[in-house]
Amino acid sequence: MKFKDYYEVLGVPRDATQDAVKHAYRKLARKFHPDVSKAPDAEARFKELGEAYAVLKDTEKRAAYDQVGSQWKAGQDFQPPPGWDAGFEFAGSGEGEGIDTSEFFEALFGRRGAAGRRHSPRAQGRDHHAKVSIDLEDAFRGARRSVSLRLPTLDGQGRVTMTERQLEVAIPKGIREGQHLRLAGQGDPGSGDGPPGDLYLEIAFRPHPRFRVEGRDVFTNLPLAPWEAALGTSVTAPTPDGPVALTIPPESAAGRRLRLKGRGIPGTPPGDLYVVLEVALPPAGTERAKEAYRAMAEAFDFNPRDPAKE
Amino acid sequence: MPQAANPALAGPIVEEEVHFTLVELCRACHAEEEHVVAWVLEGVLEPVGDSPGDWRFRGESLRRARLACRLSQDLGINAPGIALVLDLLDEISLLRAR
Repeated sequence: MKFKDYYEVLGVPRDATQDAVKHAYRKLARKFHPDVSKAPDAEARFKELGEAYAVLKDTEKRAAYDQVGSQWKAGQDFQPPPGWDAGFEFAGSGEGEGIDTSEFFEALFGRRGAAGRRHSPRAQGRDHHAKVSIDLEDAFRGARRSVSLRLPTLDGQGRVTMTERQLEVAIPKGIREGQHLRLAGQGDPGSGDGPPGDLYLEIAFRPHPRFRVEGRDVFTNLPLAPWEAALGTSVTAPTPDGPVALTIPPESAAGRRLRLKGRGIPGTPPGDLYVVLEVALPPAGTERAKEAYRAMAEAFDFNPRDPAKE
Repeated sequence: MPQAANPALAGPIVEEEVHFTLVELCRACHAEEEHVVAWVLEGVLEPVGDSPGDWRFRGESLRRARLACRLSQDLGINAPGIALVLDLLDEISLLRAR
């Protein structure tokens, strides 16, 4: 386990005031909030910030952390000192709710976070949320996918442990990225004879080598040889539902989009499939090929940089 | 593919087939009722119905309400601030889509 320097994470000196800690956290949290930031590591950074702030904003925890922390540097291998935890009783129990803490945090402060759960004799279990990645093809045909969830559960001593659960889920045809499936009764168990909560699965598409998706519409690039684009041709174009025959009209410029109505994600209304044409140049690797290019140069009075010819 | 010894779990697509009452939406987002009411008053969420007890939220409110919830918890943003941030985020995604 590596030591985490929470001061470094927030970019504040060790003697920073509580106000300075809060200020630094708020500023960085706005910058790296995964709902706002497009930085690829935003989610990891934000998690790290949340953990650092959970410790440094709480004077009790901060004092405990300072006591171990003075002997370590970020990234060093860390073991809690023997007898650690003995003198501290962390009363503040709000943490652990909402933040997913690191192994390092748990070694220092435990995982008594399930706080805030009110144990009334009869209450419905909490609703749960999880993300599931599917292939674009699943949205075209419907599918059955196995989803594994890590759920925090309380053990006998009131500690939180993570348990793994496997679910078989029917992915309905026509589902789109960002939509949610609601699975009734698959959330947390209720207390007493209260009913369990529901599970919400947010759908994401795995990146596809061939297709991009925007809402209901699907886009794919189709490369053509220059003579195919100029003279027109018939080709076979891929769609998530299988190949289709496609007529390329003569004088098709690169970037032209051919719309296949209703061939996007199924639904009412279904999306469209856009085939974006590209023109690929054959290499001039052989003498014959060079000859062909020279013949073209002679045949055309063509200067693509001449504005008058546009 | 494993055959249907254990049938796969199925459920509705929230955005297309589900409407929430105030209580259901709060439960689904782990949000406090008073916060959701404040967001409605700011126009972040637009339920149909005259009073909180009659409100019905469209399925897509789930995503917006969860976003509002995370932003208010993580960044300490109040209801008018949430309304502004969500409007700006919508505008950004529109601009990106162009």
